[in-house]
Amino acid sequence: MKKILLVEDEESLKLLYSEELSGEGYEVFTAENGKEALRQVDLVKPDLIILDIVMPVMDGMEALGRIMGKERNVPIIIHTSYPGYREDFMSWAADAYVAKSSDLRELKDTVRKLLKRGGEG
Amino acid sequence: MKKVLAMIMAGGRGERLYPLTRDRAKPAVPFGGIYRIIDFTLSNCINSDVRRIYVLTQYKSTSLSRHIQFGWNILSVPLGEFIGVIPAQQRMGEQWYQGTADAIFQNIYLLQQDMPDHVLILSGDHIYKMDYRKMIAFHLEKGGDLTVAAIRMNRTLSREFGVIEVNEDRRIIGFEEKPENPKTIPGDPEAILASMGVYVFDTEKLVRRLIEDARSESSHDFGKDIIPRMIQKDKVFAFDFRDGDQGGTGYWRDVGTIDAYFDANMDLVSVTPHLNLYDFHWPILTYQVPFPPAKTVWEEEGRTGMALNSVLSNGCIISGGSVRRTILSPRVRVNSFAEVEDSILLEGVEVGRHARIRRAIVDKEVQIPSGMQIGYDLEEDERHFTVTSSGIVVVPKWIKL
Repeated sequence: MKKILLVEDEESLKLLYSEELSGEGYEVFTAENGKEALRQVDLVKPDLIILDIVMPVMDGMEALGRIMGKERNVPIIIHTSYPGYREDFMSWAADAYVAKSSDLRELKDTVRKLLKRGGEG
Repeated sequence: MKKVLAMIMAGGRGERLYPLTRDRAKPAVPFGGIYRIIDFTLSNCINSDVRRIYVLTQYKSTSLSRHIQFGWNILSVPLGEFIGVIPAQQRMGEQWYQGTADAIFQNIYLLQQDMPDHVLILSGDHIYKMDYRKMIAFHLEKGGDLTVAAIRMNRTLSREFGVIEVNEDRRIIGFEEKPENPKTIPGDPEAILASMGVYVFDTEKLVRRLIEDARSESSHDFGKDIIPRMIQKDKVFAFDFRDGDQGGTGYWRDVGTIDAYFDANMDLVSVTPHLNLYDFHWPILTYQVPFPPAKTVWEEEGRTGMALNSVLSNGCIISGGSVRRTILSPRVRVNSFAEVEDSILLEGVEVGRHARIRRAIVDKEVQIPSGMQIGYDLEEDERHFTVTSSGIVVVPKWIKL
């Protein structure tokens, strides 16, 4: 089962995305901020990361740089409703960008596509 | 006018210059009496009106940072000029720089803050005089993503350089690191174009390629990884160093070994050196303590203070000894009846009476005792010092003799 690390600080959204992704057949792990995400990356070795940008303690942009220092091959989706992130060069390191929406089709499609690209093993 | 940011790589260990690099990074190694190697690149920047500069340091950077802090605090921050010394900070994970490209990648935030149109990537290890404005103008004229400065070399030297293959439009169509059988210049089967490690990038393209490189299996090196990949998919051109060579002598040295370092210094004591330090249109700046002028004293039979065919720095006193074909850094003292030939004496060295030194590099503050001989019996010297295959003796810093 593919492991997804969902990094999201807002409790209700975290629950929603988590359930939806579990329903798609993924094993979902969560983190509430960038710092927590780095710990989870070491523990879980996820196959894909969904990363919010605006978060307390450590934001997604800083976490992105640090995650790359640990696991440079894991696909990362920037998942945010904040449009300013693209001005940050580091955001170019993400494999995909999905704007937060109540319709989760785009997120699910992107996850599927990226996990496929990463190969079956 | 386009906005240019220079990033100078100054983190190399300079292993092959050991023991000169025992206590300092290669760009901080003294050269030509009063300079440090990095002064040439920094002076090129200033003289080319490139005045937004970051120096990326890593190993043994104290000496280098101090030199830049003391000697290069000359720009005007309110006018948007600066020289910033940036130590390795492990902002992206817990490793030191993996390669030249990683050094820039780990400092992407500096590009983010400064938002230049172009990034000029330089090495702090090389000695040359170049007008970067000419290269930037060429880059704009060609409309490429990357321009690499290239120098003509004899093909027999291909194992030491990244060798560039160009078409008639100077577009780079091939690049090989240290090839055995290099691609030669069209029409000149004896010559190759060697990369000087001087690059002009469009900022956005640089950032995208660095990120791709960081996320892939790579040695994270410009020469080995970034350039070979970019010539496949981007527009990459070669700028002929002759078109930007200040002084027109084709002088460019990577003083990577003790022998190369020695030869480059010895060039300066010749009548007409290849490297002209006396071109007042292209001043080489450095940090100098205001020592008093050099002087010679004593003129007696067998005890005459003199220096012939030599470079003398401030603060030197040649007191009844003789100096020939030698570079004297500041505050060197040569005492009576001592003889120094074909050597490099770094700052604060004192040569005792009747001592004899030839073909040697003596590092800072070493006291050569009276009567000691260096460079006359290499087997004996090897028991105490580094001796190169060509017989240059290196006396390391702080050694007690």
